[in-house]
Amino acid sequence: MVFHSFHPKNSFASLAGIICLFLLITTNLTWAAAETGPVQISPAAQSAEAAETVSDRSEDDAWEEESWEDEWEAPESIADPLEPLNRLFFHFNDKLYFWVLKPVATVYSGFFPEELQIAFRNFFDNLRTPARAVNSLLQGNVRDSSEEVARFVLNSTAGIFGLGDFARDILGLRSSYEDFGQTLAFYGAGGGFYINWPFLGPSNFRDSLGMLGDAYLHPIILLDADWGVIIGAWTFERVNYTALTLGDYELFTETALDPYAAVKDAYQQYRNGLIENR
Amino acid sequence: MSKYFLQNKSMFILSLVLQIVFIFHSGAFAAASTDPMEQLQQSVDEILQILQSEELKKPDRKDDREERILQIVTKMFDFREMARSSLGQSWNTLKPQEQDEFVGLFTSLVEQRYIGKIDSYTDQKVIYTKKLVKGSKAMIYTAIVDKDLEIPIIYRLQENDGKWLIYDLKIENVSLIVNYRRDFDSIIRKEQFAGLVEKITKQLEKTETTN
Repeated sequence: MVFHSFHPKNSFASLAGIICLFLLITTNLTWAAAETGPVQISPAAQSAEAAETVSDRSEDDAWEEESWEDEWEAPESIADPLEPLNRLFFHFNDKLYFWVLKPVATVYSGFFPEELQIAFRNFFDNLRTPARAVNSLLQGNVRDSSEEVARFVLNSTAGIFGLGDFARDILGLRSSYEDFGQTLAFYGAGGGFYINWPFLGPSNFRDSLGMLGDAYLHPIILLDADWGVIIGAWTFERVNYTALTLGDYELFTETALDPYAAVKDAYQQYRNGLIENR
Repeated sequence: MSKYFLQNKSMFILSLVLQIVFIFHSGAFAAASTDPMEQLQQSVDEILQILQSEELKKPDRKDDREERILQIVTKMFDFREMARSSLGQSWNTLKPQEQDEFVGLFTSLVEQRYIGKIDSYTDQKVIYTKKLVKGSKAMIYTAIVDKDLEIPIIYRLQENDGKWLIYDLKIENVSLIVNYRRDFDSIIRKEQFAGLVEKITKQLEKTETTN
């Protein structure tokens, strides 16, 4: 399950707003950062990096230990004060899928072979790499960050505009899929309440800010493209993604008793997994 | 010429003997294996074999194919334990007869979701990455490569008389049990257990008619 982010247009006011909020969270919750270990952004800390990987490993073990004890206990249920509205938008997105997205993606599948669909997915994925590099860095992970930079450079060139995942296939460099929502969580921000956006799907307060933050690092926004181009690209990516996952959405929602509740929980678990898996 | 023939024949017999030994050996070994990863891999391989069988892909063999897969799946999972934990505290308030009924419904519901996915199988590969064993519990980390993407799947297993049974799995970090618990909770809060049973029954009927 991949949850898509959106690309709002450049607006310095909202960017400043996000930075303020980010500072607010970081200053208020520095204890959380202290608990999770020192944050190293300094590139000079080469020798310390080796030590960090060791401590990372023991943290991993501790996490595994924890997950044994917890028996994968369900996390606190996510707050949902907007439930009536969220359900309305869930219904809207559901209809959008069955009436528009699915038929379009089915026809699209007939024109483009799977290999091409995968190449297009790689292309759009590659465009999110700059934001991932920055987020890895913000989380103090210099190594992941430089790997993302290497991935972007290699895949944009040798991978031909990111159509092929050259960095993964040849060099074994894998993305760590960090985003701004995860960065906020790293500094102690909770998810906040659940939001089911029309068109965009499941999210929460923190991850919605995250989407906005990441959007500013998306090349299409950096290049100051027209709204029409942005929406067109987003729609194409969405259709391509749907073509690659045809059947998954309906299988999940049709075998759930309350699809809204099932999707809400799946989103929460999926995000928590990404946050824990640094 | 005759010498060559003899050599060839002895080679043939030797290979036959080796093959028989190998088959018996692997069979005996498999039966005795108490390793959770090997057991899981064996069952998954059996399923993959069925899925890859050209003979069973024929439309008139569809039911046969599904039946065979279900047989293996039934042996792999501890559906009673899964039904119990997906219901949470409500389980203890049920009469034994209600519990049995719920296990049956839950099993069909899970099969519907996961067998449905299995049917769209083409040539995905399964990778086994890590194994953690602690006493009678184990976690097996795997990934399925689907359309050039690795989808992580973690199985939780519990040992019972040398047999490891799955009691939960996480696909892309989403636990099946936790997800069903949330889903069931949302119904039970409004319509109690009776409402839940009714909903599952209807759900199962609905997909049966569309199939």
